Amino acid sequence: MLVLQLRNELWKLFGKKRTYIGSSMFFLAQTIGILLFQFGKGPYGELMRDIQHAGFDAEHFISNLTIASFLLIPIGYFLLPLYVALVGGDMVAKEAEDGTLRMILSRPISRLRLLLLKWMAGAVFSLVLVLSLGLFGAIFARAFFPSGGLFVAMPMERFFSSFDGAVAWERFAAVHLFMTVEAVTLMTLAFMFSCFNVKPAAATILAISFFFISMILHDMPYFRELREWFMVQHLYLWTHFFRTHIPWWRVGESLSILAGYNLTFLVIGCTAFQMRDIKS
Amino acid sequence: MIRLENLWKNFGARTAVAELNLTVPAGEIFGLLGHNGAGKSTAIGMMLGQVWPTDGEVFVCGFNVATHRQRALQKVGAIFETPVFYDYLSGWRNLEILSHYTAPTSKGRIQEVIDWVGLTGREQSLVRTYSHGMRARLALAQALLPQPELVILDEPGDGLDPEGIHEMRQTILRLHREMGLTILLSSHLLNEVEQLCTRIAVMNQGRKVFEGPLASIREAQSWVRLRVNDFAAAVRLLRQDNLIADERDGCFVSLTADSKANQVVNRLVQHGIEIYEITPQQRDLEGFYLSLMKAEKSA
Repeated sequence: MLVLQLRNELWKLFGKKRTYIGSSMFFLAQTIGILLFQFGKGPYGELMRDIQHAGFDAEHFISNLTIASFLLIPIGYFLLPLYVALVGGDMVAKEAEDGTLRMILSRPISRLRLLLLKWMAGAVFSLVLVLSLGLFGAIFARAFFPSGGLFVAMPMERFFSSFDGAVAWERFAAVHLFMTVEAVTLMTLAFMFSCFNVKPAAATILAISFFFISMILHDMPYFRELREWFMVQHLYLWTHFFRTHIPWWRVGESLSILAGYNLTFLVIGCTAFQMRDIKS
Repeated sequence: MIRLENLWKNFGARTAVAELNLTVPAGEIFGLLGHNGAGKSTAIGMMLGQVWPTDGEVFVCGFNVATHRQRALQKVGAIFETPVFYDYLSGWRNLEILSHYTAPTSKGRIQEVIDWVGLTGREQSLVRTYSHGMRARLALAQALLPQPELVILDEPGDGLDPEGIHEMRQTILRLHREMGLTILLSSHLLNEVEQLCTRIAVMNQGRKVFEGPLASIREAQSWVRLRVNDFAAAVRLLRQDNLIADERDGCFVSLTADSKANQVVNRLVQHGIEIYEITPQQRDLEGFYLSLMKAEKSA
């Protein structure tokens, strides 16, 4: 029964055209980035200089994985939060706006179960989105660049690293897997707002505002001591998998705090949804 | 089948439903009448557990909706004023999605219901290609899938053309006749209610102002159409003899409980009043409803 109902939620989510609008923007961004690296003289030259400057063989490390990873970083930092907030904000509020929620709630399904099904569908969507992003990046970049080592420079995190062979692929996969945690958290944030009696756009805007406010406060020097408790401090835990030595304790810490955030968002959303009246 | 006990619903300072007591017996086609904003949809929302009552209790199929919603709605189907579906999916897929919220439903059962509502051949088309009438049939199909004992119809005739309304009416009668369903029909279309329902309740400004069998309305007060050469003189004469209780519109009189039409005729003829027509008039729902609303307004 649960599987059937989850399948139904996935049909609804993946059947909508607007679900794909953001995905196509991701793929477009990746395509343009890869083409610029290939055909634009500037980016390729600069990347080559950076790799050589770090003391590595540029020929070996300018690979499909390196290019895909370089493009993934800005997408993970900026584009992914916007898009998953859009999808999460739609999940309940759009059904309420369209009137289909009233049809569903004339059925003997509890509101809590319905919300959990929707959230699970959102989590599956986030996973599929991030994995397909990685897959597309690696495959499309392979059409223009050879396979080889993985070189990553993270100026914001102040490190660079390189990986070879199977380890390069493992790290590339792990980064995507843990980027799903970021996607799920932001989807859950928008999902929480979507449970209130608001329009879908309002839910998305509220989630994005929360994200940016959190980012602004996090970056203020006066809040330095509180940084560990800000959501954005832990959202980018995937970047740890680009480090030569993975700081597992920090990964665990970030996962725990993000689990707490997710649970809080879900509880608030479920409570608000349980208490509200569903009217046409 | 449905029992509302002292039900109240406030939205902020506004009272949408006040002190509503209502019983819908099994096997009836029950009409819930009232103008827009009278509180019908809010009452239905409370029956389906979509709107939380401020006070009072709702029982559906013997279960309290607030505490045992799942069990209460297990054998309930509902259709709302504007049938809304996932337009980007097929009719079949919509039925699968909606029915699985109640229980796993076999393909055979879905096909059976599609055949029953007359959507065969179009079930795999996207809902966005459906006409309003086809959407109404799909709405009926989704309501019938859980093999309900009770069907709640909230303004089902809204937006339908005369042909569609006729079809909907016939379908409701078929549901009642062939499946023996209890039907709660909320509407402001008096003609529909009059043709379909056996019992009605009328709501006005959140309160129930009448509940009873439709037959009792027709029998409550009988009017006689009386066309004579001098209506005022005829009324004076008949009142003197205590043969009529009331008159209206310059051509209708209501007889007292003891009087008969032949007594009226004899009396008028004896006094030289020419009679052109005397016809008993059955009171219709519209007349009853309007007089009820008028009385409420003046009260």
